[in-house]
Amino acid sequence: MGVILEVKNLTKKYGGLTAVNDFSFEIKRGEFVGLIGPNGAGKTTVFNLISGFETPTSGRIRFDGVDITGWKPFKIVNQGIARTFQLVRSFKFLSLLDNISVPSLSKRGKEVSRKLGTDQYASSILASVGLVDKARIPPIILPHGDLRKLQIGKAIGTNPELLLLDEPFSGLSYEEKLVITDLIKRLHDDGVTIFITGHVLRELMALVPRVIAMHMGKFIVEGPPKEVANNKIVLEAYLGRGEAFA
Amino acid sequence: MEKPFLVMEKAKKKIKIHKFSEKVKGVPSYLKDWALTFRGGVTILCLVVFFLFPLITQNVFYLQVIILCLIYSIFAGSWDLLAGYTGKVSFGHAIFFGISAYAYSAFTKFNNFSWWLSLIIGIIYALVLGFLIGIVCLRLKGPYLALGTMTIGLLFQNLFKMGPLKPLLWGDEGIPNVPTLSPNSVVVYYTILIIMVISFIIMIQITKSDMGTIFKSIRDDETGSEASGINTTKYKIIAFMISAAFAGLAGGFFAMYNRSVNPLIYQPLYSFMVLIMTALGGIATISGSILGAFTWVILSQILEELHTLDIAANPILDAFTTPAFVFSIMLILIIRFVSEGILSKALEKLKEGWDILLGR
Repeated sequence: MGVILEVKNLTKKYGGLTAVNDFSFEIKRGEFVGLIGPNGAGKTTVFNLISGFETPTSGRIRFDGVDITGWKPFKIVNQGIARTFQLVRSFKFLSLLDNISVPSLSKRGKEVSRKLGTDQYASSILASVGLVDKARIPPIILPHGDLRKLQIGKAIGTNPELLLLDEPFSGLSYEEKLVITDLIKRLHDDGVTIFITGHVLRELMALVPRVIAMHMGKFIVEGPPKEVANNKIVLEAYLGRGEAFA
Repeated sequence: MEKPFLVMEKAKKKIKIHKFSEKVKGVPSYLKDWALTFRGGVTILCLVVFFLFPLITQNVFYLQVIILCLIYSIFAGSWDLLAGYTGKVSFGHAIFFGISAYAYSAFTKFNNFSWWLSLIIGIIYALVLGFLIGIVCLRLKGPYLALGTMTIGLLFQNLFKMGPLKPLLWGDEGIPNVPTLSPNSVVVYYTILIIMVISFIIMIQITKSDMGTIFKSIRDDETGSEASGINTTKYKIIAFMISAAFAGLAGGFFAMYNRSVNPLIYQPLYSFMVLIMTALGGIATISGSILGAFTWVILSQILEELHTLDIAANPILDAFTTPAFVFSIMLILIIRFVSEGILSKALEKLKEGWDILLGR
């Protein structure tokens, strides 16, 4: 079980605002890790930095022994890190099948899809996320829950080793959450390392064996969910300082 | 309940169609299937009309009008390939049109190259220019890209006009008396028609290929495409180059048709013209631009004819029949009522009528 993702002293500054401040952590291959923190803690920024959509002010990111700091997003995807977005993104006017075809046409996706043929590969992914009966429909008319599934499907299409899920449960009903949870668990069982964010603690706590907590861009604590949930600083970050209420 | 007679008719037709497809040997089955669809049928019918047109009339004027339609079709199609499929709106497509027209004129006139060789050289000029402008301009997004390309178009127009550069770029008068490929209009017509059909097949196949899917993904969500592991910069530049190449092809033919070329070829009018044609026919349809180009050219010809008549004396009628006025009104109506373009709407209506006719 080697280290798959190693983040060291990651810092991102926007002018005078420090969104991520000297953030370091490690994820081992095959792990299932959560990243928690209240709104505005910098979770999405950390994801943007790992996936290359933003370049860090300082610090290094190593994936599978390769330094990927400052790489372009598509290169990072082809290295094996796929991500989903907090706000759903889709190719609005393409059919779901074509939506999944795009990642399977990437350099990394092609290595897998070539054997099966793009269409066959894409429809097998659609089947695994439970959208195969809607293959010819464009996402513009789909409900939010299906779009969340599609997002995960698009990420799977690139054949990732590490999957970054940014708030995959936001805006979903209870039943839809169960479906997505099941999907993520199956992916983990298939050997994909999963790094997931959320600001609703209860959902994540039930899912992941290890969480990393952050607040105001800073690393606070990591460990099993129960311990982290009882950590004084984490509670303060979520609920405010005890003295304030006194 | 259906009338027994109609059922019989239908059964007969089915047998006929079956026999027809059996008879045509050596044609791949997917081509047969396509020919039997409604769209395929309409396309083949249009092709037959195009190929038989010179048999109906040998009038040079009519042939010239249709030749211009065909040239503009390629030009509009090239713009549609870029704007409709990758969502990169270029307001400077006249650059590629113009550079190729200049290259064609110069090589045929001064170097005595054959028409096809000059045409290929023109396309290569457009390709290289597409690559260079693509690298610079594709960093710009949305309206800035449109403005950037338009500015480069204006820059080219003024560059080619400049007095000091006259020995190099032929100045204000441009290149007159460009050789044509044949004095016979029918030969020119067929040559351009065949090349136009081939280029449209290529363009449509590109949009249907994997590359076309990637282009469309860039149009719908560039960030998402990047997050899917697609090198969007590379594909945007490829799209720009392909589009520039076809615009260059049209430009070479235009120089051949016009028999001369001058800096006015870079004017924004030519860039906006393709936009209007494509919007008329339907953006992101490729074949819609053919319909758009025909509407544009033929309607402008009719309006021009009107001006030679007596009504031109009436200032109000004169104002209402100027091409700019008519096309502006048309464009507004189309954007308001058929934003998907007239082609798909027309095909839809035609299919409905056809189905009623067959009693389906």
